[in-house]
Amino acid sequence: MLLGRRLAWPSTLLYLCLAALGSQSERFTEKLTINSLQDGKVASKFTFTTLLKGASPRDPQKLDGEDESQHYTLFPLALGQILREHGVTELHLTLNAGNWNYDRWGYPEETGVGTGAELWAWMGDGASKTVDERWKGLRNALAGLFCASLGSLDDLRTTSPAESFVPEGSLPRWDAPHQIRHASLPSEHVCTENLTPFLKLLPCKSLSGIASLLNPHRLFDADWHGMGVHVVWHEGEGVEVRLTFQAVLDPLRSLLGKKQDWSFQSLYDRTIHRGCPVAQSSEVVASLPTNAVYAIQPEPHLVERNLAVYDVNTADKPLNIRLIWPDPFTYPLEYHSDSVPFSVRRTLRGSSQAWGQLSVVITNHRSTEVKTLYLETMPWLVQFYLHTIQTRVNGVVNDGVLSNLTYIPSVPHSRPTTFQVLLTLPPKSTVEITMEVTKAFLRYTEHPPDAQRGWDLPPAVFTPVEVTKNGSYSPPLGGRIYSSTLLVDLATPDFSMPYNVIIFTCSVVAFSFGSIFNILTRKFVVLRFPPDNAL
Amino acid sequence: MDGAERPLSKWKQPLLKLRDRLRPSGDVNLKRLQRKRALFALLTRRLWLIKFTLFLAGYLWMIYIPSPLWGRGTYIDENALQPAQVNTNWNWGDVHAADRHLEQLECIRDGNWTSEQRARWLKEEFGKHGVVSSTQRYSFSTSLTTIHGTNAYAVLASPRHSGTEAMIISASWLSRSGEGDGTINIRGVSTVLALAGFLKRYSYWAKDIVFVVSDGYLDGMQAWLGAYHGSSQSGLYAEPLQFTSGVIWTALNIDYPGHSFSHLGVFFEGLNGRLPNQDLINSFERIARYTAGVSVTVYDHLDPRAEPSANKAPWFLPQFIYNIPEVKGYLYQANNIVRHAKYQASGRGSGVHGLFHQFRIDAITLFAVPAMGPHGFHAIGRTIESTLRTMNNLLERLHASFFFYILPGPQRFLKIGLYLPSVILISVAMMFHGLSIWSNAGWVEETLPTEKESKVQSTTKWRRRRRPIISALCIMIATHTLGLIVFNIVTTPWFMKNPQALSPCMLVLGIATPLLFVRRVGTDVGSAPTFMVLKAFNLCLSSTVISIITLLNFSLAASLTLFLTPVVALSSPALSAQVRLIKYSAYASIAFAWLLFHQSLVDVVWSWQVLSVWLAPFICIVYTPLVLQAAIVCSLPC
Repeated sequence: MLLGRRLAWPSTLLYLCLAALGSQSERFTEKLTINSLQDGKVASKFTFTTLLKGASPRDPQKLDGEDESQHYTLFPLALGQILREHGVTELHLTLNAGNWNYDRWGYPEETGVGTGAELWAWMGDGASKTVDERWKGLRNALAGLFCASLGSLDDLRTTSPAESFVPEGSLPRWDAPHQIRHASLPSEHVCTENLTPFLKLLPCKSLSGIASLLNPHRLFDADWHGMGVHVVWHEGEGVEVRLTFQAVLDPLRSLLGKKQDWSFQSLYDRTIHRGCPVAQSSEVVASLPTNAVYAIQPEPHLVERNLAVYDVNTADKPLNIRLIWPDPFTYPLEYHSDSVPFSVRRTLRGSSQAWGQLSVVITNHRSTEVKTLYLETMPWLVQFYLHTIQTRVNGVVNDGVLSNLTYIPSVPHSRPTTFQVLLTLPPKSTVEITMEVTKAFLRYTEHPPDAQRGWDLPPAVFTPVEVTKNGSYSPPLGGRIYSSTLLVDLATPDFSMPYNVIIFTCSVVAFSFGSIFNILTRKFVVLRFPPDNAL
Repeated sequence: MDGAERPLSKWKQPLLKLRDRLRPSGDVNLKRLQRKRALFALLTRRLWLIKFTLFLAGYLWMIYIPSPLWGRGTYIDENALQPAQVNTNWNWGDVHAADRHLEQLECIRDGNWTSEQRARWLKEEFGKHGVVSSTQRYSFSTSLTTIHGTNAYAVLASPRHSGTEAMIISASWLSRSGEGDGTINIRGVSTVLALAGFLKRYSYWAKDIVFVVSDGYLDGMQAWLGAYHGSSQSGLYAEPLQFTSGVIWTALNIDYPGHSFSHLGVFFEGLNGRLPNQDLINSFERIARYTAGVSVTVYDHLDPRAEPSANKAPWFLPQFIYNIPEVKGYLYQANNIVRHAKYQASGRGSGVHGLFHQFRIDAITLFAVPAMGPHGFHAIGRTIESTLRTMNNLLERLHASFFFYILPGPQRFLKIGLYLPSVILISVAMMFHGLSIWSNAGWVEETLPTEKESKVQSTTKWRRRRRPIISALCIMIATHTLGLIVFNIVTTPWFMKNPQALSPCMLVLGIATPLLFVRRVGTDVGSAPTFMVLKAFNLCLSSTVISIITLLNFSLAASLTLFLTPVVALSSPALSAQVRLIKYSAYASIAFAWLLFHQSLVDVVWSWQVLSVWLAPFICIVYTPLVLQAAIVCSLPC
């Protein structure tokens, strides 16, 4: 303890020096936004952004040569090494648990809310190692870094949906074009073992600043929680790493008073004791109720419209922001969200193990026509019968809704299906798309250990777009909408009875072999019974 | 090996004799063939004994099934379930919430609300608990009536989980007591409402929880499940569901019609003889016993060994015999098994839970056996909460335990090997009987008619003769076609609207029609009589039907061995035409006797049209023609 205290001053000094040094080429900012939602839940989003000024992604054509040395102060070295090793221009990794409820919670601040793990990356071509080889290396390296089963995002799940997953930053103009690789693993669960390496990438870890609120005991108890790692290159600015953590907590669950009140203490069971010294900006933004009586403590540094802004570095410590409602909360009977243009419900119907029907119901809440790309990246376990696709608008068959269909069929035991179609959703209407599917019959060794659970299927992705005159898509503000994931039952052998199965098969084989062998090797002769022995 | 050269010692001689018997001298192949022939001859001569033994063993086995010495104690097979291992949080505050819902529901009941109003109110109550809810209208048009109704349901999304799996808590508006005679499941519905508010407060749910208050007794849930799984059904209009969840693995149906309850009864038989995984029943039984301290019974039968109120000797038994524990146990278990067989054989299941099984959902009904006490909302809430926690623990579908079983008591069961052979033995005996008649039909013993009585074996000679297969097959096909026609007539609206008037006509027509074409059956000289071939085929087909049905629906197969086997096995023609006609009429009346039970007939047809229970087509297209074939056997000349 004593030693620690003695070392505290010099280390802080060193820290400040480094911060000053780093600030020339690196910039670290952190932000926490807290929103109260319609159904009484509280959404919070932590964002930690590190910008490496003037840096650019590694040109894949120079992958064989010696790389420039990587001297970072704030930028996470572990991540930087992976990015440069595999020549990755843009990378997005999200690990989420739960199902984001767009109808009740509105549009999330961070787009990637698909259940499970999702990884997509833009990589330049033209290296001696192909994009697929580097993609494999990338996902294995990230699996090691984040303690997640990202290695399972293999060829069975990898697709290249370039139109739905457009780069968020800029792509360098190299000789060879860029390619996208995308894969998602809905059955991946996110927990503490993923948060710890995530925190290690932060300059202040979880010791100070906003990151000190990242308490795994509370965050992983949230109704929805997810973390994201986003690496983007902005031309003229540099490489930006954005680490995010979103959580939807339910203050009504624990309190008996049925009130929507929240505070840092009640949400995270922690308060901010120290600011992060290297953070150039560190702010907390809390949205304030628009049509209700409330009280917020302490007094915000700035109130803009209905947002209360705090600067953590200058605020009094310990900082524990509290929002108090005097009235008890009552649940609204109808939920509607203005920020989401449409709501999606996707189900796999039919209780047969051989076939089923995929049904997607999209309700456009707006009074204008909405165009959206609908993308399915389905593993080969479920194969589509495209000729059975049927579209109904408010119950009436109408095929005009679908256009610009691209379809890459799956290859059994290897490639997934890529199915993308442009939907034109008429105003204030419900569109239902149904399609017959067949369920695969797996090889005996392809079944997972929990064979009777079924297989998780990745979410469908909807990207609202506008179609320009030359036919290309330009995504407007907003972004992707993920449907829920599905579970499919495939025909499963009874693995609990291997002994019986072995006995049965061996008996059948032995019996048939014995009789056939007997007939083949037997010599047929005519025998005559003595007359007195006849029956 | 080298012992052959030494002088033989005394003790080796029997061994050598044995060797001689096993490996006789002479042509080995010839000996083997002779041995084979001798064996077959023995079996053929003793065939009646084999058949009789098989029949007897089968029926005795069936009688032995309810014995308290048979079967074993139930156990939990799936390790993930961990029943009764959690502390429950359901408390008096939640009981109070259930009481409040009950008060409102009583007002609704007394105010005679329409099902539409009721469903809307339920939807709002779910919504007040913060659970997304909606209603679903449906209508079934059967040949008798059109049923309208409105279901209310709510989906509690599991926190921290994608909601790919779900479990259901349901309560039908009408209780099962009296099979939906109008008793309202009022406390069951209030329990579901209170649970919606209660379960939302906990974050450990790994599966979505769907609350369904279905209208009517069976029809509402059938419509809801059909819409959930996207299955269409003729005559059913059901609104599509506004909210859905993932794959449903397990479901609990709550039936609590009375004021208080003494026991929780478990009902588990599903449509068409399906049963839920036994782990579900066993988990519930242990949870009720250990967590809530409530005894579990099978159905609403109280065990006379534990409950003094049920300790009464039946009319046919003196008290002192009844007081022998084994006798008491046997009668109690027999009562349970007969009830089980009724539910399973009728194919209609024993309640709302039975509808779930067709979609591969394991479901049971918890029936609060009405009594003056001591249990109420507190006990049932704790039981359901803990059972849900157990169901929540599942990582895979229930697959470990048994799907084929008989529960003679809440803590005892018979696995398939202990009851299935009874029916199989009988069906094997029928098959042997049929095959022996078939082979007898192919041979004729040529002796002089005068020597018939003298039984001189040496002078008889066996001659092959033709067997009239075609005419026998034609009769069989004709009877099954007649069955199909009867089925189509019976299910028409005009028949269903006045069965009292039409079924006697139908009965007469059904009995008379076969006589028309049977008249044309003649017998060629020198070939076997048609009745023999027909009887052989009839027996073999009945045996096959019974052994196939055994696996699908044991109780139905067992009922067939009681009602079909004797009829088919004992049918025989008589010499005089009058006796033949009388016998035929008696047999044919057995075939069509079901037409006279009007109410059951209407119920069975309703189950077919609404729930797709295949008892009605089975009786018309399989059972009646088989008995009719036996009747025709009686009517044919010898």
